[in-house]
Amino acid sequence: MPAPDGGLDLERPAAAPAPGDVPAAAREPVDAATGAAVPVGGRAARQGRLGWLGAFAIAWLAFVTLAAVLAPVLPLDDPNENVAAIVNQGPGTDGHVLGGDALGRDLLSRMVWGGRASLLLGVASVSIGMVVGGLLGLLAGYFRGRVDTVLAGAFDVLLSFPQLILAVTLVTVFASGQGVSSTRRMVVLVLALGLVSVPVLGRIARANALAWSQREFVTAARAMGARNRSIMFGEVLPNVLPAMFSIALLGIAVVIVVEGGLSLLGVGVQLPTPSWGNVLAEGRSELRQAPHIVMVPTVVIFLTVLSLNYLGDVVRARFDVRESAL
Amino acid sequence: MRLILRRLVHLAVVLFLVTLFVALLTAMLPGDPVDAIAGFASEEQREALREELGLDDPVPVQYVRWMGDFVTGDLGGYYTVTGERPVMDRVRDSLPVSLQLMVYAQVLALAVAIPAGVLTAYRAGSRGDRIANATAFGMLAIPNFALALVLAYYVGVELGWLPVSGYVRPSEDLVEHLRRMAMPAISLAVGQIAVYMRLLRSDMIATLQEDFITMAKAKGVSPRRVLWRHALRPSSLTLLTVAGLNVGTLIGGAVVVEVIFSLPGIGLLLYEAIVSRQYVALQSLVAIIAVGYVLINFLVDVLYAVLDPRIRHARA
Amino acid sequence: MGSTGTGGTPGRRRAGDRWGGRTDRTDRRTDRVGAARRWSRRPAPTWLAALLALALVAAACGGGGDSDGGATGDEDAGDPTPGGRIVYGLEAETIDGWCLPEAQLAISGIMVATTIYDTLTRPNAEGEMEPWLAESVEPNEDHTQWTIRLREGVKFHDGSDLTAEVVKNNLDAYRGAYPARAPQLFIFVFQPIESVEVVDPLTVQVNLKQPWVSFDAALHGSGRVGIMAQAQLDDTRTCAENLIGTGPFRFVEWVPNQHLRAERFEDYWATDAAGNQLPYADEIEFRPIVEVDQRLNALQSGEINAMHTSDPQTIDELRDLDEAGEVNAFESSEFGEVSYVMLNSSKPPFDNITARRALAHALDFEEFNAILGAGILEQASGPFAPGNIGHLEDTGFPTYDPEEAERLVQEYEEETGRPLSFTYTTTQAQATLAQAQLLKEQAEEVGMEVEIIGVDQSTQIDSALQGDFEAIGWRNHPGGDPDGQYNWWKSGSPVNFGRFNDPEIDELLDRGRTTVEGREEIYEQLNERFAEQVWNIWIYYTPWTVATAPDVHGVPGEGPSAPEPFPGLATGHPVMYMWVEQ
Repeated sequence: MPAPDGGLDLERPAAAPAPGDVPAAAREPVDAATGAAVPVGGRAARQGRLGWLGAFAIAWLAFVTLAAVLAPVLPLDDPNENVAAIVNQGPGTDGHVLGGDALGRDLLSRMVWGGRASLLLGVASVSIGMVVGGLLGLLAGYFRGRVDTVLAGAFDVLLSFPQLILAVTLVTVFASGQGVSSTRRMVVLVLALGLVSVPVLGRIARANALAWSQREFVTAARAMGARNRSIMFGEVLPNVLPAMFSIALLGIAVVIVVEGGLSLLGVGVQLPTPSWGNVLAEGRSELRQAPHIVMVPTVVIFLTVLSLNYLGDVVRARFDVRESAL
Repeated sequence: MRLILRRLVHLAVVLFLVTLFVALLTAMLPGDPVDAIAGFASEEQREALREELGLDDPVPVQYVRWMGDFVTGDLGGYYTVTGERPVMDRVRDSLPVSLQLMVYAQVLALAVAIPAGVLTAYRAGSRGDRIANATAFGMLAIPNFALALVLAYYVGVELGWLPVSGYVRPSEDLVEHLRRMAMPAISLAVGQIAVYMRLLRSDMIATLQEDFITMAKAKGVSPRRVLWRHALRPSSLTLLTVAGLNVGTLIGGAVVVEVIFSLPGIGLLLYEAIVSRQYVALQSLVAIIAVGYVLINFLVDVLYAVLDPRIRHARA
Repeated sequence: MGSTGTGGTPGRRRAGDRWGGRTDRTDRRTDRVGAARRWSRRPAPTWLAALLALALVAAACGGGGDSDGGATGDEDAGDPTPGGRIVYGLEAETIDGWCLPEAQLAISGIMVATTIYDTLTRPNAEGEMEPWLAESVEPNEDHTQWTIRLREGVKFHDGSDLTAEVVKNNLDAYRGAYPARAPQLFIFVFQPIESVEVVDPLTVQVNLKQPWVSFDAALHGSGRVGIMAQAQLDDTRTCAENLIGTGPFRFVEWVPNQHLRAERFEDYWATDAAGNQLPYADEIEFRPIVEVDQRLNALQSGEINAMHTSDPQTIDELRDLDEAGEVNAFESSEFGEVSYVMLNSSKPPFDNITARRALAHALDFEEFNAILGAGILEQASGPFAPGNIGHLEDTGFPTYDPEEAERLVQEYEEETGRPLSFTYTTTQAQATLAQAQLLKEQAEEVGMEVEIIGVDQSTQIDSALQGDFEAIGWRNHPGGDPDGQYNWWKSGSPVNFGRFNDPEIDELLDRGRTTVEGREEIYEQLNERFAEQVWNIWIYYTPWTVATAPDVHGVPGEGPSAPEPFPGLATGHPVMYMWVEQ
């Protein structure tokens, strides 16, 4: 399971059986896609409750999302305006809460506007992964046989690339030529990261569909002459969704991190449009003079990923998502 | 044996598809590779180069030619106007760097995660367990490049304890080698520690409730022995699998870390090939990574089946 | 366009203070004084520096060409001691290697090339060419024929002799007339060569198609035109990595992205002024460390003991470190490259002079310098850096004037019925990307629209070659003889990336190539023509600093027993004079 090279592993917290829940004999070899059985974040999450951490996670995500959505109407400085006086200045200088970056731009404003790019990228590309991966996984898991062989094989192939390498290659191929506008770059990023998340979400969907398709109510529906399409979408899909949703939350986190990695390699969101990743990447060369430029996005990314991971765990525990039990 | 055969076929198919995919992608790269390789060359030179690279051949022909070379150990060359410099030379220098980085990260992660996982499983629910769990959960949320930068700043610059860049071969100066690998390895290991620890913990908790453990306890075997001998062994299988899977990941996954710490590994080489449009090199490098990854999975699978009698029987 | 002496920004003044101030220079002789001042290692207190500067001006005026100001720092250091190891941090790896006729070397590559190879000529302290590996390089009367006499008894690292035959083969290789080699850029450079003949075992005669007065400068090629041994020249497989020259160090090992090692060549032919064998150091190792912060860290931690940089912030930091005695720093923008926005004048909007003028007026250099230049940059008004023939303090290049810029933007829109919008192509390297973003802001402030196109390096070169850009960040035209720029600016030349087709510039270039007297005037006129037509937006002369550990001396070749150095750093400096206190 090639973990996204940003350091997160999509499938890592995938199956989350409560302790004592797994009959020893059912301990399968860990499937490359479904990952290992991993305990969830905290006791609350383990029981599918939110707890105070969950409240914090929701509050934080709401805060960054709102800030990102409302960026144009918030009383912020222009994220691209250069002010010589705050070049590399730390938090609090001249009323700039988070200080300035290497080009004398207000860091708070860049983080808020950067949230727009990062979150948009995360949500959009994971949505693609959800729809495409979900559909293909569903088909593979439901019909099995040859369809499954082909699709699962395709997932395998895609997963054989380190994801960051795949993303870098795709962005280089489709968005680094001459005359590529920053809008096109953004679209390519969404598609590339979407493609990267397709096999991951696809395999989750497949594994779940495989398990659910053999359940009594599906067999019953089939016996009653229901059409494949209606069984797939009516009976199987609703049961597969929670698993996918919990993975999708992690997926958003992964995409945010991978964008940072891409930015460090010079193929992230095109500057001067800020993203959390490229603010961090730009700050890299100022580490000596102005470490805050790296520290601020690091903390923001950390908190966001933490929140998404935690909520992912909660969702999984609540719906008792267990892909390993196929 | 049948299992191994089946995996071998699988291996071949995946490799074929992966390399084909790369070939198609590189064929779509914008611009003429000849421009990138020899921008100032005369028309004749360009023609000769196109000829030599076989750029005018259809993609399938190019692919088959490349594949033929690859399976015979010829990774192709970095093309310049005259002559080619074998990709193999560069790979020979870079691969050990990435492998070392990967092994250090893996060893470090396991060295921390195994004791932590076993102890937290043994004392599940205790304060120590909760703290360890929370820490692990936090560690999962740290992007490795961010950690790398933070380490480079505090440990490398502020404290000045470790050098922040460059590579020294272990044969040259072992201590210096380890000093340089320390921060990159830690950056990669932290996320893995959390994964392994959480994994081992949950697995161990399940194992500890099994009959043979209760039996051992009843027989008066010391708790330490139960924990480390009886319980750890079956649980370590899952760990082995995931660790194996992660090895493949780390080879390519360390690109950013290699770039940050200027480590001349495979990741850096690959990135270089992409930006300078060395198509043949790119194809070979991606194939090497894919081969490594698929092979390791294959080995882990086989090992797993051999080690765990329950699987052997279940499969049979 | 502030003159250098007046200190346009606070930053400049500070720099001036620290470095003893640079006198305004009107002729090339005082030029050298300014240069010499900045070579001193430990900047003295301001008043002392001022006194010294005065004394040096006096010395230079009175004593002619022998000013020795650069040596002040070395007197503390004493005489060079042989031995020791130099570990030099470079800003980039030269991934294509050093098959010199085919290589396209930037500064890092040139540093290595001049370590392993010698060029036939090299510049002296005034930037004039003098024979180096050659004993003499003499033209005939009308400069259509040059005779190169070689030094006797010079050996290559592989033991072979330097002969006229080898030199002929090398020159043929550079001009694309040697079967085993396929040069690219050098074909254009040496295109005027008709034939190269061996006269006797140590004499080569070069026949030209046309007069070429600065052929000796082309033979230096900013250090790129090294003479390779026959064995390397004929090596079709490993030419790029199997380096054999006559230079001060013998190639030992190259591991790309890690290091390149060379050891002292015992049979090196050159000695210093006192007759001591060169080079001084036993070993040299080059390490590419791309990130400038990491390079500086490595220098401070003792991992390397020399480095170079053109990053203004780092240069500023190095000044402080130099003052504190933690490093020796040598700084120069003399004979440097110019950083600029290259405009494509073959297509809209910059085929229109109104648009070009508007952009020039929109560039707020003071802000640029304060934000990106740490206040140390020197504004450029033309392509020729201080020290160069043709350099002018004021060329009449449009200066910052936002109202005028806005007016011109309006005018352009009325004229063409289009908004003034353009794309700016840049690599994703941090420094150039930062520059692009700031320029975008400044241009948009006066009503233009700018889209940044971030590309990788090979795509950028492609874009330039194919003219597939509107504006592009660029750095080129290092010092040496201005005739070296001939191909970059001549209309129709494939490397005239901006594609301007200016008969007046063509004429000046041709005259400069063929005229012996009055070349200063010719190139000054050329400079003014550039300003008038605004073919490019000049920004600043790239400063370079070489910093070494406190116990390493001899950069850029100065010292009591070394010859007076060429003061430019833009294309590297010789390492044979570097020495480590033993």
